[in-house]
Amino acid sequence: MTSIHGGSIRKVVVACDAGMGSSVMLASQLRRELRGAPVIVEHHSIATIPDDADVVLCQLGLAGRARAGAPGSVVVGFRMFLGDPAVARVVAAVKQGGVVFGTPGS
Amino acid sequence: MTTNISGVLEPRAVRVHEIATDRESAIHRCADVLEEIGAVHPAYREAMLDREWAMSTYVGEGVAIPHGLDMSRDLVRRDSLAVLRFPGGIDWEGGRVTVCVAIAARGDGHVALLSQLALILLDPRKAEILRSATDPEAIVAMLEADDEE
Repeated sequence: MTSIHGGSIRKVVVACDAGMGSSVMLASQLRRELRGAPVIVEHHSIATIPDDADVVLCQLGLAGRARAGAPGSVVVGFRMFLGDPAVARVVAAVKQGGVVFGTPGS
Repeated sequence: MTTNISGVLEPRAVRVHEIATDRESAIHRCADVLEEIGAVHPAYREAMLDREWAMSTYVGEGVAIPHGLDMSRDLVRRDSLAVLRFPGGIDWEGGRVTVCVAIAARGDGHVALLSQLALILLDPRKAEILRSATDPEAIVAMLEADDEE
């Protein structure tokens, strides 16, 4: 999938290679920012992304693998763990509406 | 939120006067400490290095979080963190690092502390306090605190 409307997002998955470090930190920030919204935030390793993930956030370098493993999800790549604009766009779409576009790639 | 996190980060796993010439030697020091406290099998070191070369674990505010790979979870004996402070700084891909929070996890025992770390790093004032702290007990207390409202 290449895009999804913010109002349709029910589950956001933060994925990293191990699912033990970076993804845990970002998922906890997202949970805080999305508190009160009808959205579940989980952290997983890139190999175990659940099928019902609407949006997958991962480091840009992992986006290709995430897309291959989660064809039904919109995959958004980010560069920074703190204050990345791509992450902020997902939060804004959930809270205020708007469309989340997946990171382009092959 | 009440979480039993005691034991995940022990004061003896906090080292405040570390020296490393580069990122690789810093990772080795992180692995040394995780081994010393009995948190990981010696082979976990290779997984930490592999993970680091695959993608930098720099997270911002002068902090990196070296850890292993999904397939190295079996090399972890118990969920543990170690904090290594490098006052001289290390050139890292992504920025200059003065604090490493090394992670060994087979479950989710460390999640509360990492959430707290994220909160600290999002507040530049708190991030500076963490970077300049030299008392292991104080560093443990900072990461074990629960500032979540």
